[in-house]
Amino acid sequence: MDILTGRLTRLTAVNADTDAELIARGSCDSQFWRLAHTDPALPVLPKYVKQQLEERSLDLQGFAIRTLTDDRLIGYIGLYTIFWPQREAIMGINIGERDFWGKGYGTDALRVLLRFGFEELNLRRVSLSFLEGNERAMRSYEKCGFRLEGRERNAWAYDGRRWDEIYMGLLREEWQETNNEQ
Amino acid sequence: MSNEQLAMGNDQGLLVGRLVRLVAVNSEKDAEAIARWDVDSEYMRQLSSRAQLPSQAKKIKEYIEKEQIDDPRTIAFAVRTLADDRMIGFVAFDGIDWPHSAAFVAIGIGDPAYRGNGYGTDAMRVMLRYGFQELNLYRVQLNTFSYNERAVKSYLKAGFVSEGLQRGMLLRDGQRWDYIYMGLLRDEWLTLTNEP
Repeated sequence: MDILTGRLTRLTAVNADTDAELIARGSCDSQFWRLAHTDPALPVLPKYVKQQLEERSLDLQGFAIRTLTDDRLIGYIGLYTIFWPQREAIMGINIGERDFWGKGYGTDALRVLLRFGFEELNLRRVSLSFLEGNERAMRSYEKCGFRLEGRERNAWAYDGRRWDEIYMGLLREEWQETNNEQ
Repeated sequence: MSNEQLAMGNDQGLLVGRLVRLVAVNSEKDAEAIARWDVDSEYMRQLSSRAQLPSQAKKIKEYIEKEQIDDPRTIAFAVRTLADDRMIGFVAFDGIDWPHSAAFVAIGIGDPAYRGNGYGTDAMRVMLRYGFQELNLYRVQLNTFSYNERAVKSYLKAGFVSEGLQRGMLLRDGQRWDYIYMGLLRDEWLTLTNEP
Protein backbone atom coordinates (compact mmCIF):
# COMPACT_ATOMS: atom_id res chain seq x y z
CA MET A 1 0.00 0.00 0.00
CA ASP A 2 1.27 3.42 -0.91
CA ILE A 3 0.93 5.71 2.08
CA LEU A 4 -0.17 8.62 -0.13
CA THR A 5 -2.94 6.72 -1.98
CA GLY A 6 -6.54 6.54 -0.79
CA ARG A 7 -9.71 4.97 -2.20
CA LEU A 8 -10.65 7.83 -4.52
CA THR A 9 -7.62 10.08 -4.58
CA ARG A 10 -3.88 10.20 -4.22
CA LEU A 11 -1.63 12.97 -3.02
CA THR A 12 1.19 14.02 -5.31
CA ALA A 13 3.75 16.77 -5.58
CA VAL A 14 2.41 20.13 -6.68
CA ASN A 15 3.62 20.81 -10.19
CA ALA A 16 4.15 24.54 -10.52
CA ASP A 17 4.05 24.35 -14.33
CA THR A 18 0.73 22.55 -14.74
CA ASP A 19 -1.15 23.05 -11.47
CA ALA A 20 -1.13 26.83 -11.11
CA GLU A 21 -4.10 27.11 -13.43
CA LEU A 22 -6.56 25.47 -10.98
CA ILE A 23 -5.53 27.80 -8.17
CA ALA A 24 -5.85 30.80 -10.46
CA ARG A 25 -9.31 29.61 -11.54
CA GLY A 26 -10.30 29.13 -7.88
CA SER A 27 -9.24 32.69 -7.15
CA CYS A 28 -11.87 33.87 -9.66
CA ASP A 29 -14.64 31.86 -7.90
CA SER A 30 -15.52 34.02 -4.93
CA GLN A 31 -17.88 31.48 -3.40
CA PHE A 32 -15.12 28.87 -3.41
CA TRP A 33 -12.66 31.41 -2.11
CA ARG A 34 -14.80 32.16 0.93
CA LEU A 35 -14.98 28.48 1.78
CA ALA A 36 -11.27 27.92 1.34
CA HIS A 37 -9.62 31.11 2.55
CA THR A 38 -10.03 33.81 5.14
CA ASP A 39 -8.27 36.61 3.29
CA PRO A 40 -10.34 38.71 0.85
CA ALA A 41 -11.19 37.15 -2.51
CA LEU A 42 -8.66 38.39 -5.04
CA PRO A 43 -8.43 37.02 -8.57
CA VAL A 44 -4.84 36.32 -9.60
CA LEU A 45 -3.17 35.24 -12.82
CA PRO A 46 -1.71 31.71 -13.23
CA LYS A 47 1.69 33.31 -13.78
CA TYR A 48 1.64 34.81 -10.30
CA VAL A 49 0.49 31.54 -8.72
CA LYS A 50 3.26 29.64 -10.50
CA GLN A 51 5.85 32.05 -9.15
CA GLN A 52 4.49 31.59 -5.62
CA LEU A 53 4.55 27.80 -5.90
CA GLU A 54 8.15 27.87 -7.04
CA GLU A 55 9.25 30.09 -4.18
CA ARG A 56 7.45 28.05 -1.54
CA SER A 57 9.68 26.68 1.17
CA LEU A 58 10.42 22.97 0.91
CA ASP A 59 9.56 22.12 4.49
CA LEU A 60 5.89 22.84 3.90
CA GLN A 61 4.19 19.53 3.30
CA GLY A 62 1.83 20.59 0.52
CA PHE A 63 0.28 18.12 -1.91
CA ALA A 64 -1.89 18.18 -5.00
CA ILE A 65 -5.01 15.99 -4.78
CA ARG A 66 -5.52 13.86 -7.90
CA THR A 67 -8.29 11.38 -8.70
CA LEU A 68 -7.27 7.73 -8.93
CA THR A 69 -9.47 7.09 -11.98
CA ASP A 70 -8.12 9.74 -14.34
CA ASP A 71 -5.30 11.48 -12.47
CA ARG A 72 -7.18 14.75 -12.58
CA LEU A 73 -6.08 17.59 -10.30
CA ILE A 74 -9.06 18.54 -8.11
CA GLY A 75 -7.54 20.47 -5.21
CA TYR A 76 -4.83 20.95 -2.65
CA ILE A 77 -4.14 19.67 0.82
CA GLY A 78 -1.26 20.01 3.23
CA LEU A 79 0.16 20.15 6.73
CA TYR A 80 1.12 23.71 6.01
CA THR A 81 2.55 24.70 9.36
CA ILE A 82 4.38 22.20 11.53
CA PHE A 83 5.50 22.98 15.07
CA TRP A 84 8.10 20.26 15.28
CA PRO A 85 9.08 20.38 18.94
CA GLN A 86 5.37 19.97 19.79
CA ARG A 87 4.74 17.57 16.89
CA GLU A 88 1.69 19.53 15.94
CA ALA A 89 0.58 20.53 12.45
CA ILE A 90 -2.04 22.90 11.11
CA MET A 91 -3.68 21.46 8.02
CA GLY A 92 -5.61 22.95 5.16
CA ILE A 93 -7.59 21.53 2.26
CA ASN A 94 -9.55 22.83 -0.66
CA ILE A 95 -11.27 21.16 -3.57
CA GLY A 96 -11.21 23.71 -6.36
CA GLU A 97 -13.09 21.56 -8.88
CA ARG A 98 -16.78 21.99 -8.06
CA ASP A 99 -17.75 18.72 -9.79
CA PHE A 100 -15.97 16.91 -6.97
CA TRP A 101 -17.73 18.58 -4.06
CA GLY A 102 -19.89 16.50 -1.71
CA LYS A 103 -18.82 13.14 -3.15
CA GLY A 104 -16.26 12.01 -0.61
CA TYR A 105 -13.13 13.09 -2.48
CA GLY A 106 -12.14 15.66 0.12
CA THR A 107 -12.76 13.26 3.00
CA ASP A 108 -10.69 10.61 1.25
CA ALA A 109 -7.78 13.00 0.69
CA LEU A 110 -8.08 14.11 4.31
CA ARG A 111 -7.79 10.50 5.54
CA VAL A 112 -4.68 10.01 3.42
CA LEU A 113 -3.12 13.22 4.76
CA LEU A 114 -3.85 12.20 8.36
CA ARG A 115 -2.24 8.81 7.81
CA PHE A 116 0.80 10.57 6.39
CA GLY A 117 0.91 13.00 9.32
CA PHE A 118 0.47 10.46 12.10
CA GLU A 119 2.34 7.49 10.62
CA GLU A 120 5.08 9.06 8.53
CA LEU A 121 5.74 12.31 10.41
CA ASN A 122 4.81 10.84 13.83
CA LEU A 123 2.67 13.86 14.72
CA ARG A 124 0.79 14.01 18.01
CA ARG A 125 -1.86 16.47 16.96
CA VAL A 126 -3.39 17.97 13.81
CA SER A 127 -5.34 21.22 14.04
CA LEU A 128 -7.47 23.17 11.60
CA SER A 129 -9.86 26.09 11.45
CA PHE A 130 -12.55 27.33 9.09
CA LEU A 131 -15.29 29.92 8.94
CA GLU A 132 -18.69 29.22 10.48
CA GLY A 133 -21.29 28.15 7.98
CA ASN A 134 -19.05 25.76 6.06
CA GLU A 135 -21.15 22.75 7.08
CA ARG A 136 -19.78 20.46 4.38
CA ALA A 137 -16.24 20.97 5.64
CA MET A 138 -17.28 20.42 9.24
CA ARG A 139 -19.05 17.14 8.43
CA SER A 140 -16.00 15.91 6.59
CA TYR A 141 -13.68 16.80 9.49
CA GLU A 142 -16.02 15.09 11.98
CA LYS A 143 -16.08 11.95 9.84
CA CYS A 144 -12.29 11.84 10.12
CA GLY A 145 -12.45 12.17 13.88
CA PHE A 146 -11.80 15.89 14.43
CA ARG A 147 -13.43 17.38 17.52
CA LEU A 148 -14.73 20.88 18.00
CA GLU A 149 -12.36 22.79 20.27
CA GLY A 150 -13.53 26.34 20.19
CA ARG A 151 -14.49 29.37 18.22
CA GLU A 152 -12.99 32.78 17.77
CA ARG A 153 -16.06 34.99 17.85
CA ASN A 154 -16.54 37.62 15.14
CA ALA A 155 -13.15 36.75 13.71
CA TRP A 156 -13.85 37.73 10.09
CA ALA A 157 -16.05 40.22 8.32
CA TYR A 158 -17.76 40.21 4.96
CA ASP A 159 -21.26 40.80 3.54
CA GLY A 160 -21.98 43.29 6.28
CA ARG A 161 -21.69 40.93 9.23
CA ARG A 162 -19.04 39.15 11.21
CA TRP A 163 -18.34 35.43 11.23
CA ASP A 164 -16.78 33.14 13.80
CA GLU A 165 -13.71 31.06 13.07
CA ILE A 166 -14.21 27.46 14.19
CA TYR A 167 -11.27 25.47 15.59
CA MET A 168 -11.06 21.68 15.50
CA GLY A 169 -8.34 19.26 16.52
CA LEU A 170 -7.47 15.59 16.31
CA LEU A 171 -5.09 13.84 18.69
CA ARG A 172 -2.99 10.86 17.73
CA GLU A 173 -4.83 8.49 20.10
CA GLU A 174 -8.22 9.62 18.77
CA TRP A 175 -7.06 9.09 15.21
CA GLN A 176 -5.89 5.58 16.04
CA GLU A 177 -9.30 4.77 17.57
CA THR A 178 -11.21 6.23 14.61
CA ASN A 179 -8.97 4.27 12.27
CA ASN A 180 -9.49 0.97 14.07
CA GLU A 181 -13.26 1.35 13.86
CA GLN A 182 -13.18 1.78 10.10
CA MET B 1 16.40 46.75 25.59
CA SER B 2 17.55 46.38 21.99
CA ASN B 3 17.13 43.19 20.00
CA GLU B 4 20.88 42.83 19.98
CA GLN B 5 21.12 43.01 23.76
CA LEU B 6 18.33 40.45 24.03
CA ALA B 7 20.02 38.13 21.57
CA MET B 8 23.32 38.55 23.40
CA GLY B 9 21.92 36.69 26.34
CA ASN B 10 19.81 38.39 28.91
CA ASP B 11 18.24 35.00 29.55
CA GLN B 12 18.43 33.84 33.14
CA GLY B 13 17.07 30.35 32.63
CA LEU B 14 17.15 27.60 30.09
CA LEU B 15 20.22 28.68 28.14
CA VAL B 16 22.46 29.55 31.08
CA GLY B 17 24.91 27.12 32.65
CA ARG B 18 27.45 27.47 35.44
CA LEU B 19 30.27 28.83 33.29
CA VAL B 20 28.71 29.76 29.98
CA ARG B 21 25.54 30.77 28.28
CA LEU B 22 24.28 30.01 24.80
CA VAL B 23 23.37 33.01 22.69
CA ALA B 24 22.40 33.71 19.10
CA VAL B 25 25.28 33.52 16.65
CA ASN B 26 26.05 37.05 15.51
CA SER B 27 26.96 36.56 11.86
CA GLU B 28 28.73 39.93 11.66
CA LYS B 29 31.01 39.60 14.67
CA ASP B 30 31.31 35.86 15.23
CA ALA B 31 32.32 34.97 11.67
CA GLU B 32 35.67 36.71 12.28
CA ALA B 33 36.40 34.56 15.34
CA ILE B 34 35.32 31.37 13.57
CA ALA B 35 37.57 32.20 10.60
CA ARG B 36 40.48 32.62 13.06
CA TRP B 37 39.77 29.29 14.76
CA ASP B 38 39.50 27.53 11.41
CA VAL B 39 43.19 28.08 10.72
CA ASP B 40 44.07 26.31 14.00
CA SER B 41 44.93 22.78 12.86
CA GLU B 42 44.69 21.26 16.31
CA TYR B 43 41.18 22.63 16.73
CA MET B 44 40.07 21.61 13.25
CA ARG B 45 41.31 18.03 13.66
CA GLN B 46 39.30 17.67 16.84
CA LEU B 47 36.25 19.11 15.17
CA SER B 48 36.15 17.41 11.81
CA SER B 49 37.54 14.46 9.90
CA ARG B 50 37.72 16.50 6.72
CA ALA B 51 40.95 17.94 5.41
CA GLN B 52 41.46 21.39 6.82
CA LEU B 53 40.28 24.09 4.45
CA PRO B 54 40.22 27.59 5.89
CA SER B 55 37.44 29.84 4.65
CA GLN B 56 37.05 33.58 4.44
CA ALA B 57 35.06 35.28 7.19
CA LYS B 58 32.72 36.51 4.47
CA LYS B 59 31.84 32.95 3.41
CA ILE B 60 31.35 31.92 7.03
CA LYS B 61 29.02 34.86 7.54
CA GLU B 62 26.95 33.81 4.52
CA TYR B 63 26.83 30.24 5.78
CA ILE B 64 25.68 31.30 9.27
CA GLU B 65 22.94 33.46 7.82
CA LYS B 66 21.72 30.75 5.49
CA GLU B 67 21.81 28.13 8.24
CA GLN B 68 20.01 30.24 10.81
CA ILE B 69 17.30 31.53 8.55
CA ASP B 70 16.65 28.85 5.96
CA ASP B 71 17.41 25.52 7.56
CA PRO B 72 14.79 24.18 10.01
CA ARG B 73 17.09 21.21 10.63
CA THR B 74 19.83 23.29 12.26
CA ILE B 75 19.84 25.24 15.53
CA ALA B 76 23.18 26.85 16.37
CA PHE B 77 24.37 28.93 19.32
CA ALA B 78 27.49 30.85 20.19
CA VAL B 79 29.02 29.92 23.55
CA ARG B 80 29.87 32.91 25.76
CA THR B 81 31.47 32.94 29.18
CA LEU B 82 29.32 34.14 32.05
CA ALA B 83 32.29 35.88 33.68
CA ASP B 84 33.25 38.27 30.86
CA ASP B 85 30.86 37.57 27.97
CA ARG B 86 33.66 36.31 25.77
CA MET B 87 32.74 34.27 22.68
CA ILE B 88 34.72 31.05 23.06
CA GLY B 89 33.00 28.56 20.78
CA PHE B 90 29.81 27.24 19.27
CA VAL B 91 27.37 24.42 19.83
CA ALA B 92 24.74 23.26 17.34
CA PHE B 93 22.12 20.68 16.61
CA ASP B 94 22.54 19.86 12.97
CA GLY B 95 20.60 17.47 10.82
CA ILE B 96 17.67 17.44 13.23
CA ASP B 97 15.47 14.56 12.08
CA TRP B 98 12.20 15.98 13.32
CA PRO B 99 9.78 13.12 12.54
CA HIS B 100 12.03 10.82 14.57
CA SER B 101 13.00 13.44 17.22
CA ALA B 102 16.70 12.69 16.82
CA ALA B 103 19.53 15.16 16.28
CA PHE B 104 23.27 15.35 15.86
CA VAL B 105 25.06 17.72 18.18
CA ALA B 106 28.35 19.43 17.35
CA ILE B 107 30.48 21.53 19.66
CA GLY B 108 33.76 23.38 19.34
CA ILE B 109 35.69 25.48 21.85
CA GLY B 110 37.70 27.64 19.48
CA ASP B 111 39.51 29.70 22.08
CA PRO B 112 42.40 27.47 23.30
CA ALA B 113 42.52 29.21 26.70
CA TYR B 114 39.12 27.71 27.51
CA ARG B 115 39.83 24.09 26.59
CA GLY B 116 40.11 21.49 29.34
CA ASN B 117 38.51 23.75 31.94
CA GLY B 118 34.92 22.50 31.89
CA TYR B 119 33.54 25.18 29.57
CA GLY B 120 32.72 22.74 26.77
CA THR B 121 31.10 20.24 29.13
CA ASP B 122 29.03 23.03 30.65
CA ALA B 123 27.91 24.23 27.21
CA MET B 124 27.00 20.66 26.24
CA ARG B 125 24.93 20.22 29.39
CA VAL B 126 23.00 23.41 28.64
CA MET B 127 22.50 22.28 25.03
CA LEU B 128 21.19 18.87 26.14
CA ARG B 129 18.71 20.49 28.51
CA TYR B 130 17.54 22.70 25.64
CA GLY B 131 17.28 19.70 23.31
CA PHE B 132 15.40 17.41 25.66
CA GLN B 133 13.22 19.93 27.51
CA GLU B 134 12.54 22.58 24.88
CA LEU B 135 12.80 20.72 21.57
CA ASN B 136 11.45 17.47 23.05
CA LEU B 137 14.14 15.39 21.36
CA TYR B 138 14.27 11.67 22.09
CA ARG B 139 17.86 11.09 21.06
CA VAL B 140 21.03 13.17 20.66
CA GLN B 141 24.02 11.68 18.90
CA LEU B 142 27.50 12.68 17.85
CA ASN B 143 30.65 11.41 16.20
CA THR B 144 34.16 11.89 17.47
CA PHE B 145 37.63 10.48 16.89
CA SER B 146 39.72 8.20 19.10
CA TYR B 147 42.58 10.73 19.23
CA ASN B 148 40.28 13.37 20.72
CA GLU B 149 40.44 12.03 24.27
CA ARG B 150 39.40 15.30 25.88
CA ALA B 151 36.18 15.32 23.86
CA VAL B 152 35.35 11.69 24.66
CA LYS B 153 35.87 12.38 28.37
CA SER B 154 33.62 15.44 28.20
CA TYR B 155 30.86 13.56 26.33
CA LEU B 156 30.94 10.70 28.85
CA LYS B 157 30.64 13.26 31.66
CA ALA B 158 27.60 14.77 29.98
CA GLY B 159 26.01 11.31 29.84
CA PHE B 160 26.74 10.08 26.31
CA VAL B 161 27.19 6.36 25.81
CA SER B 162 29.61 4.88 23.30
CA GLU B 163 27.51 3.08 20.70
CA GLY B 164 30.12 1.74 18.34
CA LEU B 165 33.09 2.61 16.24
CA GLN B 166 34.51 2.31 12.78
CA ARG B 167 37.99 0.93 13.27
CA GLY B 168 40.90 2.69 11.65
CA MET B 169 38.72 4.98 9.58
CA LEU B 170 40.96 8.02 10.03
CA LEU B 171 44.55 8.49 8.95
CA ARG B 172 46.35 11.28 10.79
CA ASP B 173 50.13 11.75 10.70
CA GLY B 174 50.68 8.20 9.49
CA GLN B 175 48.60 6.59 12.20
CA ARG B 176 45.16 4.98 12.04
CA TRP B 177 42.39 6.11 14.41
CA ASP B 178 38.81 4.98 15.10
CA TYR B 179 35.67 6.93 14.30
CA ILE B 180 33.50 6.80 17.45
CA TYR B 181 29.69 6.96 17.63
CA MET B 182 28.08 8.18 20.83
CA GLY B 183 24.44 8.70 21.74
CA LEU B 184 22.24 9.79 24.62
CA LEU B 185 18.55 8.95 25.04
CA ARG B 186 16.02 11.15 26.75
CA ASP B 187 15.30 8.67 29.57
CA GLU B 188 18.99 8.24 30.35
CA TRP B 189 19.44 11.98 30.48
CA LEU B 190 16.38 12.46 32.74
CA THR B 191 17.72 9.85 35.19
CA LEU B 192 21.18 11.40 35.10
CA THR B 193 20.05 14.97 35.74
CA ASN B 194 16.99 14.39 37.96
CA GLU B 195 15.03 16.64 35.63
CA PRO B 196 11.24 16.34 35.77
